[in-house]
Amino acid sequence: MTDNGPNDPSLCPCGSGLRAVRCCGQDLSLKVVTAAARHVAPLAEQAVVAFDAGRLEEAKALCLDVLELAPGQPQALGLLYRIRLEERPLAALTLIRRLVALYPNDFWATNELTLQLLGRGMLAEAEVHARNAVRIAPEMAQAHHLMGMVMTELSRPQIGEYHYRRALELAEGREPVLLANLAWNLKAQGKMTEARDLYRESTAAAPDILQTVLGWARLEEADRQFDTAADLLDRAEALAPGAQSVLLSRAVLFGRRKAYQQALGVLDAIAAQRQDGVMGPGELLEKGRLLDQMGRHDDAWAAFVEGKRLVREISGVAYMEAQANETVSRVAGFFTAKRMRFTPRASVKTDSPQPIFIIGFPRSGTTLVEQTLTAHPAISAGDELPFIHDITGLAQRMLNSPLTYPDALCELWMGDQREGLDNLRDYYLQRARQAGVIADSRQAGGARWFTDKMPLNETHLGLIALLFPASPILHLIRHPLDVVLSVFSNQLTHGFCCAYDLETAARHYALIADLIAHYRTEMPMRYLPVRYEDIVGDQEASIRRMLSFIGEDFDPACVDFTQNRRYARTASYAQVTEPLYDRSRYRYRPYVKHLAPIVPILRPAIDRLGYVVEGLEAAA
Amino acid sequence: MNGDGPMAQVANAEALHEAGMAAAREGRIEDAARLMERSVEVGQAPPFAFRNLCEVYRLLGRLDEALAAGLKAVDGDPNDPLAHANLSVLRYERLEPAEAIASAERAVALAPDLPSGHFGLAEASLLVGDFERGWAEYEWRWRLAGLPPLTPGLDLPQWDGAPLGEGRLLLVADQGFGDGLQFARFIPWARERCPDLVIAASREMQPLLAQVALGVKLFDAWAEASDCVAYCPLSTLPGLAGVRLETIPAPVPYLRADPAKAAAWRARLDELVAPGSRRVGLVWAGRPTHRNDRNRSVALADLGGITNLAGVTFISLQKGPAVPQVGGYFGRAPMVNLGPELGDFEDTLAVIDGLDLVLTVDTAVAHLAGAAGKPVWVMLPHAPDWRWLTGRSDSPWYPTLRLFRPPGPRDWAAVARDVAAALRR
Repeated sequence: MTDNGPNDPSLCPCGSGLRAVRCCGQDLSLKVVTAAARHVAPLAEQAVVAFDAGRLEEAKALCLDVLELAPGQPQALGLLYRIRLEERPLAALTLIRRLVALYPNDFWATNELTLQLLGRGMLAEAEVHARNAVRIAPEMAQAHHLMGMVMTELSRPQIGEYHYRRALELAEGREPVLLANLAWNLKAQGKMTEARDLYRESTAAAPDILQTVLGWARLEEADRQFDTAADLLDRAEALAPGAQSVLLSRAVLFGRRKAYQQALGVLDAIAAQRQDGVMGPGELLEKGRLLDQMGRHDDAWAAFVEGKRLVREISGVAYMEAQANETVSRVAGFFTAKRMRFTPRASVKTDSPQPIFIIGFPRSGTTLVEQTLTAHPAISAGDELPFIHDITGLAQRMLNSPLTYPDALCELWMGDQREGLDNLRDYYLQRARQAGVIADSRQAGGARWFTDKMPLNETHLGLIALLFPASPILHLIRHPLDVVLSVFSNQLTHGFCCAYDLETAARHYALIADLIAHYRTEMPMRYLPVRYEDIVGDQEASIRRMLSFIGEDFDPACVDFTQNRRYARTASYAQVTEPLYDRSRYRYRPYVKHLAPIVPILRPAIDRLGYVVEGLEAAA
Repeated sequence: MNGDGPMAQVANAEALHEAGMAAAREGRIEDAARLMERSVEVGQAPPFAFRNLCEVYRLLGRLDEALAAGLKAVDGDPNDPLAHANLSVLRYERLEPAEAIASAERAVALAPDLPSGHFGLAEASLLVGDFERGWAEYEWRWRLAGLPPLTPGLDLPQWDGAPLGEGRLLLVADQGFGDGLQFARFIPWARERCPDLVIAASREMQPLLAQVALGVKLFDAWAEASDCVAYCPLSTLPGLAGVRLETIPAPVPYLRADPAKAAAWRARLDELVAPGSRRVGLVWAGRPTHRNDRNRSVALADLGGITNLAGVTFISLQKGPAVPQVGGYFGRAPMVNLGPELGDFEDTLAVIDGLDLVLTVDTAVAHLAGAAGKPVWVMLPHAPDWRWLTGRSDSPWYPTLRLFRPPGPRDWAAVARDVAAALRR
């Protein structure tokens, strides 16, 4: 067979070089796909020999021949995958997926697929295969290494840490990349000292790995060791002169040192390096934030607009509005006073620390409040816990219901499921314990509370109130225009990807604001609204109010929360390590003319929350 | 509806006035006022135009304009009893009871059978504590226009307070829930005179009334009263008993929460409220169909002075169409929306049992808490219902009740300030 390139209409559009009937057009469940594999094994061996000898074209042709005869031949599939990896990555992904589908116990293929998915940010699918890797080979360090990487990326660093440490136990020697990955994980948990030691050990053993040096530099930057970070970036630069990832880190570092002009210069240098001479979306948003700090608001706005446009163009992602509306209308339809009056609540598990839910739209100040509260000895930090969302997926199974969530909660009215919520509650607490968020309950002197600040957990506020009726719910409120502006100037995927455009962010904000009002109207809950502006205006009074609501005594450590060395993993980390500054209140003002189109969308929420929009008439 | 529509263009005072009356009947009070204003502007308005304008302005809360119109009405036709009756109603709402009484007296002098005149006289007299005259005039309420019969399908005489011998007396829990709870204290008095009595009451009222009428049959179907020989509304009992301001019986508590229910609600609140926080029940709106609801109900947003207090958790006992205001509540004091969970007054009573204080506008919950002998603060409208009298901050009806009065109509900010100051103490 000949390889006529990806545009040959007689071939599969995936770019594998195979005919569609031998490629994506097959039904993989049919035995025929793998049936002839062993008969063509010698030919596949020849392909491997050719490949090893550097005869790439011969190897490729042999693979295509083998797969034409036996489209499920494993060696040929694997080899063609390796060949395509460089030249046609999407075709390679298709091939490795097929290999894993046909041979689910093949560790090598599973490992490759997981790494490919991880590299592309396809984390949900990566998790499936990383778990399979552990199932296939629980004794192999690499299986746990995969799980470590995937769980760290999935913002479940405690689970990731467990698997990295398993990998270290199982591996022979202390593999430098594994050490660096564990260091990155620990940095995400704010365990800076151990992370730093691991980076030191890793670079001593393998000084030339760019990712390791860069990761260490980012740790030092996050930990406000700006000089050390700069030295490390110099080392990274030496390893890979002009590498854009190094330059972007340098720009961020300049920004944190308030050397805005230099930061902008670095970003321009990145753009100049590119073939098209323009910045990527990450650089553009960073540039916008720098210009914002410099007070060049119109230029900043232009950078945000262009950055978001590029994000949409490159990712093809847009607000999943239909899904958002469907979710909201289903929960709003289910959680009504009429039903809630006779729906049982979970009991309070008295032998376990209890969650404090810090809810609010992304960029409302949830990180700030978590950092503040977790400086209190009775409150430990849980960060963004995905378990409430997980429970919405598990409720049907755990309650043995024919219906999906929220309708699965109808089972609570049956005699044999009336305590079903206790199981869901225990699932949450047990996950939290496994994630290392809460210490073993038998341990004395531990925290009585832990925080869960998963953004937009308020979508499931009703479920939270049923599962944890005694848990304090702190709802962070900030001027809606400030929130949406901040969402627009950062890249985040929360909220059905509403942040990919200005108007969709506003629409999702309004949708969720109405939903919260609905929950509050329909059922009692232990809920306290907390204004971000109040915290900035009178920090101690706000902290006292929150702690009294939680039922804990005031602790002065909370006021000086910038000394709380726990590193906030989210986009807010740079802000929360600085003392509170008034500039973060009503940031929308210089942008009001740009925000005018979304004011009508947010108006009901702005009015309800008691805010005003200043400067709108002047802008119009 | 646009008040400047075609009718407003007709330069005919009478037609404009009729259009205004039509708008008022449809509840378009603003339109009514505009049309009637045009009517008097174009001149040669009918003599009763100012009388009606007075009422329309009153409904809009424009009390000074209403007074001017009302005075013009009685000036223009001093013999129009309805003009004096309207002026009496307005004077009451302006919290000028002496003037209200004078106008009502004038109205009934001109038309001795005018129910609204007598009823105005009753309310104003009761408000100033002249119960003797008040109770007598109060009976005219049954003849007010548009009132449905109290005991449909039954042909019974109204009880005169004398012992009935072997005859069975039918007591009727008339008027609102609050009245029923307030006047339930007279049931034992009636029973002393007529041991054989039954009570017609709504289902919701029955378990509470049963507490002051042990063993008495309660029902809500008129057919069950067929063997009675006389009837009496609960709201007539204080008059029959000859109660005077200084002899109001207040045997609180005469309502008690079910201990098991109270314990369950207390446990529920222990989960929902921070330990150590004061638990203050809150009701800010009454039934919207009440004739004085626009004056007695407040928007939660207008109570800002109270809702920012520290150390307080509000337990909303609010029911009905005002509940969604909780969704827009962002005061600094937490609020637990218990309203949706409250099935009936027994639930509310059981919750109140576990509260430190109940803070309410003039609704049935005030009576519930008062009858249970719990601390209750009532935020009154400027011109309150007669039962709250004038000037005083206590109530002879309920020893544990405290009254907060605004210095002017709908000045809730001032009430909120006073309540906040009292809560801080």
